[in-house]
Amino acid sequence: MDITIQDYLNILPLIIIAAGILISVVIEMYAKNSEKILPWFSIVIFFSAGYYALFTVNSQSVLFSNMIVTGGTANIFFFLFCFGAAIVSLLSIDYLKKAGIYFGEYYILLQSAVLGMMLLANARDLVMIFIGLEQMSIPFYVLAGFNRKKHFSNEAALKYFLLGAFATGFIVFGMGLIYGSVGSMSIDAIMTKFGDVSTNAVFIIGVLLFIIGFSFKIAAFPFHMWVPDVYQGSPTTVTAIMSTGGKAAAFSALFIALSPFFGDVSFNIFKPFLSALAVLSMLFGSIVAIAQTDIKRMLAYSSISHAGYMLIGVTSGLASGTAGVIFYLAAYTFMNLGAFGIVSMLEGENDTNLKIDDYINLGKKNPLIAGLLSIFMFALSGLPPFAGFFGKYYVFISAIESGMTWLAIVGVISSVISVYFYLRLVVLMYFKEGNEGINPTVSNTALLGVVIAALIVILIGLFPGSIIELISTFVI
Amino acid sequence: MNIYDLIFYLFATITVLSALAVVSTKNIIYSAYNLMLTFFGVAGLYVLLGADFLAIVQLIVYVGGILILILFGVMLTNKVNGMPIHTEVTNIIPASITIGLFAGIVLAFFMNTNWKSVTTEFPATTIQSLGKLLMNEYILIFELLGVLLLIALIGAASIARKQ
Repeated sequence: MDITIQDYLNILPLIIIAAGILISVVIEMYAKNSEKILPWFSIVIFFSAGYYALFTVNSQSVLFSNMIVTGGTANIFFFLFCFGAAIVSLLSIDYLKKAGIYFGEYYILLQSAVLGMMLLANARDLVMIFIGLEQMSIPFYVLAGFNRKKHFSNEAALKYFLLGAFATGFIVFGMGLIYGSVGSMSIDAIMTKFGDVSTNAVFIIGVLLFIIGFSFKIAAFPFHMWVPDVYQGSPTTVTAIMSTGGKAAAFSALFIALSPFFGDVSFNIFKPFLSALAVLSMLFGSIVAIAQTDIKRMLAYSSISHAGYMLIGVTSGLASGTAGVIFYLAAYTFMNLGAFGIVSMLEGENDTNLKIDDYINLGKKNPLIAGLLSIFMFALSGLPPFAGFFGKYYVFISAIESGMTWLAIVGVISSVISVYFYLRLVVLMYFKEGNEGINPTVSNTALLGVVIAALIVILIGLFPGSIIELISTFVI
Repeated sequence: MNIYDLIFYLFATITVLSALAVVSTKNIIYSAYNLMLTFFGVAGLYVLLGADFLAIVQLIVYVGGILILILFGVMLTNKVNGMPIHTEVTNIIPASITIGLFAGIVLAFFMNTNWKSVTTEFPATTIQSLGKLLMNEYILIFELLGVLLLIALIGAASIARKQ
């Protein structure tokens, strides 16, 4: 195995982040004001890795004896994770001060979580998926409980850790069964032997367990019970990256493991299971979100229903569905980051200002913030011309193409339900008489992050055609 | 029945019976000691399969490390707030159903799989080939595990820090 310069250039995003972790540890050790240096250092490495990944999206290669791939969809995911994390770092600077958890380790853990997500997205081997999953989850467990003084934060960390470890158990057991039936952990070997094993019960149950394990991570319906508590209890900026990057990474791993099935009749075995997950997640998330009074909980339930929409694209089993889900994830990452970003900006000390009623009259008191939040709410509810609409559009089209029109219809119904709770927030901000509501002080760096997220959401909404074309060229 | 079959049944019995005792005993200390026997039995099964390195690692890491940690954890936390740890065997019916289902699936696999029996020489040691694999095919994973352990350490330290 000879590694050329070109190979090193192809995995440069991974090298940047991994080296960044080690340098951050050194900075944290020796610099006196490391908590001031580290956020900007993280932003620089996230931005350079994300930009480089997008820049080299065409140089596809398979490296390290079929362990990882570079280029193509992997690089698109790299871009999502790195830009998402850069925005989260911007949001965190003032949020951590406000929450009293102003420590440098936060950024080291954030970088390692991003490294794990990247490993999940470019894995080509089940062992690699496992390492990536752990590399992503362990920092998340710690970050969820980063605010140790807070009871809720500790509860969130413990819940996330126990259920996450349980889900990992499912995934590893599934991998064991897949290995037992195929005799190899490599996705390429699974693809070559696919004809022999596609009807093998051991193999099917292994893949099913794998899907169940990752359903925990993407927060689909019957495996969602940790989501509201963990999203509510974790520091808001951590929730932002957990609900976007973490979900996108889990979806990418699901695509890698299911890729041998796409275009094959044996995928029909999973269709009832996956479509049940999709329908239940969409309806449950949308309906329960209506009853929420806490904005973080509301966004948590909305994230469950978004997992359902994305699962429609997976269920279709078509290349257009995969491309649609990746587009959806791109849109969802930035609109959800923006929404959580604004929540983190407005949040007061000791968990105040987190009720939906606190947002009353925000339109008069701070028109800029209210306008940005309205953009994200319109985008999340799927109203045109914002990014969310086109994400849903591509996913629903793929369902119709694969002959599952009913799934698209349920999706539309659920979107209509969800419009109620997204737009209720907008109505409260603008059309409520009286003078109650909070008077927020706004952090400039966080505002910058939110504005960038809003710009990306608008850009994706303006040029959906060229973006989906770019994604489709890499999805086989 | 040769001597290897006898050793296999011995270790298998130790593993299964001690595992049963782990979940059924009411005293958590007894559970921990029974877990030691389970780990030991599994290590014996590894030896019979010719996986010498795995067996030794199983003994060193699980019996020598993790189990001692569990015992220390139980003994130390018992005294923290003066309250005895409440231990009880609960949810017997749901657990039996789940495990019965699971055992049924495993048994079905076992019966339906077309086992091929091959006689091979046991390798004298597996360490050399494991090392070669780790340094060639799995080099990336080997390196990344280093990063993973570093992060686990940093995470543990940041959870345990003083405010």
